[in-house]
Amino acid sequence: MASPSSPSDPDKVSQAESPSQDTRRSFFSWMIGIATSVIGLGLAIPLAGYVISPSMKRREALWAEVGPTGDLRTGEPEELEFASTVKDGWRTDTAKKAIWAVQQQAGDLVVFSPICPHLGCGFRWNAEDHKFHCPCHGSVYDVTGKVLAGPAPRSLDVLPSKVEQGKLLVIYKEFKTGLDHPVEL
Amino acid sequence: MAGKLYTWLDDRLKLKPLEHTLLDEPIPGGASWIYVFGSATLFLFCLQATTGMFLALYYVPSVDSAYDTVQFIQHEVQFGWFVRGLHHWGASAVMVAIGLHLLQVYLYGAYKRPRELMWMVGVVLLLLMMGFGFTGYLLPWDQNAYWATQVGTNMVASVPWIGDVLVRVLRGGDTLGALTLSRFFALHTLFLPAMIVCGIVLHLFILRRVGPAGPWSIEQARQRREAFYPRQVFMDAMVMLGVFLLVATLAVTVEFPLADRADPSDHTFTPVPEWYFLFFYQLLKYMSGPLEPLATWVLPGLFILGLLLWPFIDRNPERRPASRPMALASGIAFLTVVLSLLGISLWNLHMTPKVDPSVARGKVLFSKQHCMACHRIHGEGGKVGPDLSYVADQRPDRQWHLRHYRDPRSVSPGSIMPAFALQEKDLNDLASYMLSLKSEPSTDTGNR
Repeated sequence: MASPSSPSDPDKVSQAESPSQDTRRSFFSWMIGIATSVIGLGLAIPLAGYVISPSMKRREALWAEVGPTGDLRTGEPEELEFASTVKDGWRTDTAKKAIWAVQQQAGDLVVFSPICPHLGCGFRWNAEDHKFHCPCHGSVYDVTGKVLAGPAPRSLDVLPSKVEQGKLLVIYKEFKTGLDHPVEL
Repeated sequence: MAGKLYTWLDDRLKLKPLEHTLLDEPIPGGASWIYVFGSATLFLFCLQATTGMFLALYYVPSVDSAYDTVQFIQHEVQFGWFVRGLHHWGASAVMVAIGLHLLQVYLYGAYKRPRELMWMVGVVLLLLMMGFGFTGYLLPWDQNAYWATQVGTNMVASVPWIGDVLVRVLRGGDTLGALTLSRFFALHTLFLPAMIVCGIVLHLFILRRVGPAGPWSIEQARQRREAFYPRQVFMDAMVMLGVFLLVATLAVTVEFPLADRADPSDHTFTPVPEWYFLFFYQLLKYMSGPLEPLATWVLPGLFILGLLLWPFIDRNPERRPASRPMALASGIAFLTVVLSLLGISLWNLHMTPKVDPSVARGKVLFSKQHCMACHRIHGEGGKVGPDLSYVADQRPDRQWHLRHYRDPRSVSPGSIMPAFALQEKDLNDLASYMLSLKSEPSTDTGNR
């Protein structure tokens, strides 16, 4: 509130202003200012958090069960489909996702994102030459995901995975394409 | 800085005369703490409008989503519980503020000539505010919302001749459902706000045309005249701050969890209206059979009409309470009836068995431990394990439940349920919740 001018008809409404009345007026304007500021801040701070918080929250990815690992043969990647649940605001959506699972020679089970890190096409496994081929721009990867040929800037993206009670669990993620290191979307 | 900006704006927009009009309005008899209720009501209305707009950021008015979005606001959005709390307690506070404002105006005879129109607009504002309360109550789409609105809309059906049509129009069909929710939402957030803003503007316009009434004795009014600014503004601001702090404290300290999701098939649920409708709820209990229409529409209709036309009914020009025995007596009689009905109703509610806090904690644990993934309660949850809607009917023994959590197969051979290594206290709470799930609706689990 702006500081007010003195009333125009002082005889009627109030007495002529004396110094003590000046201090009274400024005391009242201070108190009014404090009250409105407390209310304003008391609302503005929580409301700002209320508006901003969901926008800043990363989409929560959960462990999704892909299926039993028993059928995987060492060194032969397999494309597995599963239902992944994603929280979208107040909704929990399920979407069908696919991943490449490879039982590596070393004994580890590695899970690759099915998206080529070059420009985001879906790559395939060629069982004859034992390599992953991207049909779009010809990137080639070996069974460990390393780039062998083509324009791909980095190895295949590895997804977090674990095996519990014979079942493969993964966290599905997507990464930015075209960079030399994986950056999660 | 602010002063310079003000001068700059004033040079162009000629703000001084406006400021003079707004702030230097003379108050007969001087500023007083008794005049703050109107400003407090206006402040609370603004608080409701603000929190309401923010709630609409996440709320979705559809039968499928409404409940989930309110849960989302309550549990996942930062300060969501606070914004919802402010809106909830603000609604109660605005009713109290209106009540006190009305009492002050009544006591001071401030509705008398030339302020009859201001009173009448005020009565319309009160009705609109009750409309806000009634339509807003349905929006969370929980059991309380659904069944209270069911009862509320049924009352309209008792109006002769047009009752059936009215109720259909109100609900958007013959049953309460998707169309009811969307029209209540539209009423609550678009129609009623538009109407009430017009009403408030009119109310304030009339106030500025006829001026405030001031004290009831003319001598006192003549003794002193004081401008609205600074003392009255200061008093109003202090009360607004107090009201805000009170509502915020209630929002922080008093929980009001949602009841279960609305379930039209669950007829065991007993809804309770908001406290400001409780006196009416109690009145309905006394008026059964042929008397019922009397309570559902005859008395309310007459009362509203009487209130609206009160300045023309009470024609005594005297404003001093001492010289208005009839008006004072009818006011006191009305207050006594309403407050006794409210008191009886609150007492009855207090006497009905409350939710044991252990049951409430158990319910929270039940959801935290993801028991819902396998077990179903009243239509919600998985189907892997047994349905627990009425588990206490079959398993009334607490010890059985406790043993069962620690080692399911010890009491239920072949069970695939995993053991839960929880604290003793938590296991006890979980068992209390299970024991509250019985077909006899003696306690209302979870709702307020």
